Order: sequence, then structure tokens, then C-alpha cells
Amino acid sequence: MNGCLLCEKPLDDQPTWQQFLGISKSSPVCPPCLALFERIDSTVEDEWVDSIHSLYAYNEQAREFLHQFKFLQDIALAQVFASDLRNVLKNSKKIIVPIPMHPANKAKRTFAQVDALLDAAGIPYEQLLHKTTESVMGEKTRAERLAMTELFEVKADIPSNEAIYVLVDDIYTTGTTLRHAARTLKQAGAVRVEAVTLFRPTGKK
Amino acid sequence: MAVYEEIQQFLAGRIWLRHVMPFPTEKIDEAIDQGWIQTMKGVIEKPTWHGKQYQCNRCLNENPSPFTIFQCAQCETTCAYCRNCLKMGRVSSCSELLVWTGQAPAYPTDHRMNWQGNLTPSQEKATNELLDSTKQGISHLLYAVCGSGKTEMLFQPIHYLLNEGKRVCLAAPRVDVILELLPRLQAAFPDTVIEALYGGAEVERFDAQLILATTHQLYRFHEAFDAIFVDEADAFPYTADETLQRAVKKAVKPSAPIHFVTATPSAQLLAMNKKQGNISILARRYHGKPLPEPRNETLWNYEKQLKKKRIPKKLLQWTKERLENQQPFLIFFHQIELMEIAEPLFQQLDERICAVHAEHADRKERVQMLRKKEIPGLLTTTILERGITIPNVQVAVVGAEQTIFNKGALIQIGGRVGRSVPHTAGDFVLFHQGITNAMDEAKREIRKLNKQEILQ
Repeated sequence: MNGCLLCEKPLDDQPTWQQFLGISKSSPVCPPCLALFERIDSTVEDEWVDSIHSLYAYNEQAREFLHQFKFLQDIALAQVFASDLRNVLKNSKKIIVPIPMHPANKAKRTFAQVDALLDAAGIPYEQLLHKTTESVMGEKTRAERLAMTELFEVKADIPSNEAIYVLVDDIYTTGTTLRHAARTLKQAGAVRVEAVTLFRPTGKK
Repeated sequence: MAVYEEIQQFLAGRIWLRHVMPFPTEKIDEAIDQGWIQTMKGVIEKPTWHGKQYQCNRCLNENPSPFTIFQCAQCETTCAYCRNCLKMGRVSSCSELLVWTGQAPAYPTDHRMNWQGNLTPSQEKATNELLDSTKQGISHLLYAVCGSGKTEMLFQPIHYLLNEGKRVCLAAPRVDVILELLPRLQAAFPDTVIEALYGGAEVERFDAQLILATTHQLYRFHEAFDAIFVDEADAFPYTADETLQRAVKKAVKPSAPIHFVTATPSAQLLAMNKKQGNISILARRYHGKPLPEPRNETLWNYEKQLKKKRIPKKLLQWTKERLENQQPFLIFFHQIELMEIAEPLFQQLDERICAVHAEHADRKERVQMLRKKEIPGLLTTTILERGITIPNVQVAVVGAEQTIFNKGALIQIGGRVGRSVPHTAGDFVLFHQGITNAMDEAKREIRKLNKQEILQ
């Protein structure tokens, strides 16, 4: 017997023909919990990032989700958005590049959250970037973020500068992280860099 | 030595994750070297005939589905963690749990009991029996009907234990019960350090001698108490969750008694206590009047009718009578969705009628408003089946044949009726579409209790 990953209530999973034939997959989250996430699919451009696609609004439910995922270290929650990420990232010839964590922070958390999201979605990715500093965006003020020097360096040669690179991160707030990552890739030879993030604050309360 | 005492006070009786201990690492290391603290792995693997099985050393969960296995970047191997007690901080294969093995702290032995209430002869008898079992260290089941004054019967045994310098826990499955008990115990034992623990509450007094806790919180304890009283021992989720039952056993010292207090003991609880414990039965309410018997009324297709925005005729009539006679009422539903469909229909009769369920943060205030007659009645799920007293309340159950209304739930729901003087009786009606065994058993049980002789 399995419960909803978020509210732990038992899931009403009646087997269906669609599941049996592999057309649809049963969700690990119950419909009421899923409905609390607000799908926005906003796409914006940035100075260095050619397109930033955010799937969901960073609302109360999203905040609780990230808290449990990252701070309570509940890696099982990577499953929640597996099918959404798969739908957005599958079948493309683009090269998926997760935003990395500093090795020390990764050891503390015991996993890197973006890698876990992509692993759960079954999306292949290449760890082309290396985080140079241990400091975390969430603890900085806006001014501090904007004044930061290089956050990333490329680990290997950029395979083919014809390809499109897609950065993946959990949340897009001021854009500092994505901007730094895109700039690093472009300076190493990439032409087009896009980004996909799970959440983005929408400004309304 | 000051740090020794601080760690002793913090950790004695508890089981705590090493990486969240609020002490410097060197001090913890030293305490381990001295043998005051014992460490254990967070999650262990146990061999079984079909392979291996994980067990969480904090909540003792063995059910495989809450364990998530992943590639851990800290221990750099395959690591498992327990989602059953995740909210208390993650316990995984590579985390360490600490328990105190040094000297036990000493507790005061002079406690004042500030309670001069009167016990009826049958209450007196039950509390003495419970006290005797406590002295002998035997588990006791206090089987006392709804509205018989259970909490007061615990005061003397608790006072005895406190004066022996023992550590005592009063546990209940639901936080509402804990919050209701806390002021009563604080008033009864004004000089005693009492701490209430529930999800979201911060520990303030680690040295508390009397602890009130939801059964979930007992995951954090390890051979801490000289006696545990489990109140409402049949309530959800205690009976449904085996890890909670294990948590209670883990939280008492070996061979210390676990007492149960309930109005509706399960067959399992009765059998267990018959085998290895004592039992006191209190069949009469403190005011001496019998328990209200349920009355069955058919209500066909209530679900369909409500969905068509119509209150079934008998239910409508019952509600109108309550409104006319100005009697507060509770209508129980088996399902939140159905209740929410019914809510606007009832509001057409009186706009102050509203619904409560577990996720309503203001359910306490709404119950309070009902008590003060600011609202005429409430629609509710089984969340209000126990623990509340509303003078002269009348009760209806819609869909009494649903499985959620088992024998215990029905007896508890009926127990809301006629609790206080002068309104010692009231209507307790079960609207159903087919009488179930549970409904029959509940009625039989109530009749049986009403026939029991009472001490004068």
C-alpha cells in the first residue's frame, strides 16, 4: 500500500487499461495535492539566457515541496515532477546541463537536487559545469547576488558549439545563477543556451 | 561537569540524531568515549528468509514501502532512509542515533496535587485499582464510558508516581486531546515541570518529569518512562499504525507498565489486557444517568439526493426540529466531499450552520461557537467523534452504514449526547440505508453497559 508522497493519504489507485498498456502512468501524488501547484509555463529571455521556461508558480505548495525535498532531504519527492520534466525535455537533441552543487554542499545534502530530478525523469544529462563557490544563492541579498564574480567553470571542452544547451534548475528567482551558468557556457563556445526551471515566483501573493 | 549535566538533561530518555545535537562535537565525542552515550545506526538491515529488510531505529518501522533507497553523496554507497518519521529529521543508513547510557537524572519527589474534586464511588474504586496496578507495575485497562470523568481518575496514580521521583508520560493519538489535557494537569500539579509535545511544538523543558505527548512524539524517546498512560487508546491512527504501538513500548523502561484509558476498547486491547494485565470497568457516567441509545432511521439514496441539491426529507425534518427547539446539533458525515455538497443546502435553513473537518484550522473556534450558541449546529466528519462536550447537543449520523462508522466510532459519537447536567439525555439518531453489524454491536454494547450495576 502506497500513500501520496506529499500528504501520505492512501492513493486511490484503481488499475486502468491505460496504465496497463503503458499509455498513462499513475501519479505518485494525490489529485488534491497536485492541484495546489499552479502551472504557469512562463517563458522569458535574459541577457545571457536565450529562453527560460518555468513550469510552475513558486507558491505556498511549491515552497513546502522544496522545503521537504531539499531541507528534509526527501529525495523520493524527485518523482513528483518526473513526468512533467520528461515531457518538456524528452526527445530533443539539446544537451541537458544541470546546475551543479558545490561538492561540499552536495555531501551535506547527500544528493544534488537537480540531478535527482533528472534521474527520476529518466533524462540523460551532462555535467559540464563545476561550481566554484560554496555560497548559496538563497542566503544572499539581491545586491550581493548581482555583485558576484564567476560562479561556475566548465569541466570539459564544450562538445559541439552547434548544439543547443538546456540548463536545468529547481527555481528561477533573480536569474543570477542561470545568467552565470549561461555566460560560462557561451564563453566556452556555446551559441544558444536555454533553461528550464520547475518554479518561478509570480509576484502575486 | 556542567556540560555533562546539560547533555544528561537533554538526552536522558531520548533518542536523537547525532548531527542535530545542540552541543559541540568534541563534547559529544568525549561523552561517547566515557560511555555515557551509546551510538547506533539510523537504519539497519535485518536478514529475512526472502532477503533483507530495513528497520528504522528511531520509529522502528519495518514496512518496506516508506524506505527510499538512493545513491548517497555523503557515505558514497547505496543508502536507505525512513520516510515514516522524516518530519522529525531524516534518519538514514549513514546517520547515527544517540541514546543516554550514563547516570539517570534525579527528579523531585515532593509534588503538590491541587485537586479537590469529588469522585463517585465507582470512580473511587477504579482509580484505586489503577493505583494498585501502578504500584505493582502491571498494565491496566481503564474501560470507562464516555462522560465518566476519565482524566480525574488518573490524578492519584500520576501523583503517586511523581512523588516516587518517577518520570511519567500521558500519551494520546490526537493533538486535540493533548491540548485539552494540558491545562487540567497544570492546574492539578502546579509545582511539577510539565511539557506538552506534539507536531510543531518546540521542546522547552528537556527535564520535564511529566510529559504529555502525541503518540507520534514517542518515536523520539527511548526507555524514558516508568509508566505511560495511553488515553483514547482506540483512536486513529494509534490502532492502525503498528509503529506507534512499538513507539509506546520503546518509550517505557523495560517491564514498566503501559496503562490504557478508553471508552471503546478494541477486541485486541481487551484480549491483551486479559492476558497480562488488570482491568476496571466503569459503566456509568459521573451523573449516574444511562448512555443514550441509538435510534435507527432509514434514509434511502441520501447521497443522490444531496447531489441533486435536496436535503432528504427525514433529515430535513430532524434539522428543522432542532432549529425550532433551539437545540445545538452535530451531523456526522462519512466523507468530506459529501459534507461540502450538503453545507450550502443546510445554510439555506440557517446561514450560520457550517462544516468542520481535520484540515480546518479554526475548528476549535467553531466548536466553541456552538457551545456558546452562536451557531445552531455543525456538520462534521469523525474528527469531532471524541473529546468534546457541548451541553444539550443532539446528534445525527448520515450514512451510518459506511465502514468508517465502526462500533467504536458510533459509541464515541453517541457519547457526545447527554454529557452534562441537566441535559443528561438527548436524541442520537443513525440515518442509514441498511443496518450493519457495527450498528447492532454499538447498540448492544450501550444496552449492556446501561444494565451494569452501579456502586452507590
